[in-house]
Amino acid sequence: MKNLIIRGLSKTYLDPYAGAHVTAIADVSLEVVQGEFVSIVGPSGCGKSTLLNMIAGFIPPSRGEILLDGRSVKGPGPDRGVVFQSFALFPWKTVLGNVTFGPKMRGVPREERERIGREYLGLVGLAGAAGRYPAELSGGMQQRVGVARALANSPDLLLMDEPFASVDAQTRMTLQEELTRIWQERRPTILFVTHDVEEAVFLANRVIVLSSAPGRVLAELPVPLPRPRVWAPLVEDRDFKALVARVLGMVRPA
Amino acid sequence: MRGFRRRHWRADTAYDRVVGGPGGLRPAVAFLVPLGLLLMVWAVVVALFQVPARVFPSVGEVALAGVQSLSDGSLLHHTGQSLLRVLVGTVLAIAVSVPLGVAMSVSRVASAVLTPLFRFFSVLAGIAWIPIATLWFGYGFGAITFVIFNAVFFIVTYNTLLGVASIPLPLRYAAASLGAGPWRMLTEVLLPGALPNVVTGIRTGMGYAWRGLIAAEMIATNAGLGYMLFLARDFYRTEVILLGMIVIGALWLMIDRLLLAPVERATIERWGMVRRVG
Amino acid sequence: MARALRLLGLTLRWAAAHPGLSSFAPFVPILALWALLAASGLFPAVFFPGPMEVLRVFGTLMYKGVLPDYLEDSVIRLAVGAAAGMALGIPLGVLVGVSRRAHRLGWPVLLFFQAIGDIAWLPILLIWFGFGLGTMTFVIVYTVLFPVVLNTVLGVRSVPLELTRAAQSLGAPRFHILLEVIVPGALPNIVTGLRNGLGYGWRALIAAEMIVGTSGIGFLMFDARRAGQVTEILLGMIVLGLLWYFVDGWLLVPLERATVERWGLVAR
Ligand SMILES: Nc1ncnc2c1ncn2[C@@H]1O[C@H](COP(=O)(O)OP(=O)(O)OP(=O)(O)O)[C@@H](O)[C@H]1O
Ligand SMILES: [Mg+2]
Repeated sequence: MKNLIIRGLSKTYLDPYAGAHVTAIADVSLEVVQGEFVSIVGPSGCGKSTLLNMIAGFIPPSRGEILLDGRSVKGPGPDRGVVFQSFALFPWKTVLGNVTFGPKMRGVPREERERIGREYLGLVGLAGAAGRYPAELSGGMQQRVGVARALANSPDLLLMDEPFASVDAQTRMTLQEELTRIWQERRPTILFVTHDVEEAVFLANRVIVLSSAPGRVLAELPVPLPRPRVWAPLVEDRDFKALVARVLGMVRPA
Repeated sequence: MRGFRRRHWRADTAYDRVVGGPGGLRPAVAFLVPLGLLLMVWAVVVALFQVPARVFPSVGEVALAGVQSLSDGSLLHHTGQSLLRVLVGTVLAIAVSVPLGVAMSVSRVASAVLTPLFRFFSVLAGIAWIPIATLWFGYGFGAITFVIFNAVFFIVTYNTLLGVASIPLPLRYAAASLGAGPWRMLTEVLLPGALPNVVTGIRTGMGYAWRGLIAAEMIATNAGLGYMLFLARDFYRTEVILLGMIVIGALWLMIDRLLLAPVERATIERWGMVRRVG
Repeated sequence: MARALRLLGLTLRWAAAHPGLSSFAPFVPILALWALLAASGLFPAVFFPGPMEVLRVFGTLMYKGVLPDYLEDSVIRLAVGAAAGMALGIPLGVLVGVSRRAHRLGWPVLLFFQAIGDIAWLPILLIWFGFGLGTMTFVIVYTVLFPVVLNTVLGVRSVPLELTRAAQSLGAPRFHILLEVIVPGALPNIVTGLRNGLGYGWRALIAAEMIVGTSGIGFLMFDARRAGQVTEILLGMIVLGLLWYFVDGWLLVPLERATVERWGLVAR
């Protein structure tokens, strides 16, 4: 079992402009079990990205600890894959070059890593785009590459920070459905950050609600909706709507 | 959503977060300390290895040369001559080239035809004109000012042409449909739209002009910083040469960093275009 | 005169209608105008020779082999200078760009040395190396170096943080991040730096050839000036302009198109 355990995590920034201290995350504790799909929702600016960046190892916590599989997180590493809101694809590498980057860093021989790359491109429905450059793809396609790139490295934990926030509404729904399908097929552990309550509920097995700044855990709600999840029936579903309304009530108290 | 626009991400670099803010490093101090260190290295190395003055002068010798040339007025004389030439050449060039560039760009045919032409001449700008300038004007003020004028004129005209051409057509349509006549179009759309390019052109052109000035002064006159340096070479007075180099560097640094770069930043970065050094 | 003007207008319009030719076509009316002016006798012919005269001198110098030799000298100097400038400048720029300490110390020093400018070095270089290849090489390398370094630094610093983070979380070691993320990410600026550097470097070359040279296009022009040969000076200028056109059009622009533009990065 490769669990993520977070205890008493806090982050305080020193604002370089104002010279003041800003507490982004205050005393957050949570656990994620292997194979789980967990969403984190919270109002804008509550520290969701800060939390995710600390788990990814991009920024150090001010207090508290992050344990992955019993080991403390010290910096970024290939055991945690990250999918960025801005895609963060390497513009100078082809789609295949992007997806095979992780295996290449691990020293996987070319043939083998290209096989892996094509497999994951197939998984996200981009088998035909292997030789193209990111700039030649639409936003939705670029993020598919982003997902494939992170998965191709077989991480223990997949971290996603509002990955679908900068694609258009229709594409976003397609990507969300695809992500639930991929999760069902491969069972990666996913921690998905968003401010979109419907998205959080639609995707996850469990939703963690953060308070407005500084972020604390307000509630954890299981999502007992059946899979596969598809938007068309689900938007009308009473359980789905009730759950969304409940979370919304916590994120935006009247 | 196509493509990857670096300018959108620029504010996201770690560097900008640390140094970008008004509370960042104190610019002047942060700038001078490394140069002071360099000065110390120079002093120590010359003393330690007993470098002969004919190869490289000591800090003291250069300082002495500075004091002497200041007190007999020669440094001010040469510097004044150089700056005057740059000022006259540049001001004349800008006064002619910006109106000319805008006027030419109003006609589509004229701008399509003249742009490559000015590109060609802006490539030649500056030093390449020294031989013919000295033939046409003789040695002295005229030839050197002409070289500077040339360096600035062609590049600024070319950039003005480019600048007007780069104004999006919808912007012109918008202005026209809002009732702008030709004059208003010029002052409200064409000139401000071309301004970032014009300013970049001035900065580039002056960079070439400054170097052209030094070269021309070495060849074609009997006053100015370039002449001072070249004369000192005849007598192996390395301390005067070093002094001159430092003055040339410091002057250009001030012109560029305190005058040109801020103006360029004010127009270009403000309007979301890409920044540039050197 | 009126007919000449009409002809001029016609050529202008024709040139505008053929955008493919438009980079060469505009020189046709200018050549015509030049020929007209020279023929009109407004200026004394010694000071203002016509295009045919320049062409004739071109033929003579080509035949004698002077022009090809000098051109070769200049181009080789420029190429060597550019290569050395890049070989030194890119690593130095990357170092100053990624290391905060190196940046704090190095940046002002770089700016200062860049501001001194190549040509101001000539007198002391002449004392050190004499009138020779050492002086010339130093000047060109120096000139190319700084724009490359400064722009590389800027490029390195403008690589989006997310890209390095992405590489890190894909398991890339430091060296690979440098090679596969930082350097390509800085490439648009490196190309800009190279362009600026060549622009400055080749002017410096001309100046150096004029002042210390014994061969090269700059020397050709200055030698002609001593002899009062305006025609050769004009020829030299035209050769210089064309040379830059080719370097830019055959080397830099294709390079940019194959990399920066293909990747969708904004150049300039
Ligand atoms: N590098 C930083 N320096 C200083 N303050 C920061 C920094 N990064 C974030 N903050 C502050 O920390 C708080 C939380 O930011 P964070 O980006 O984590 O929020 P978020 O929940 O991801 O918001 P959003 O939904 O808009 O993405 C904000 O007040 C923000 O201004
Ligand atoms: Mg965020």
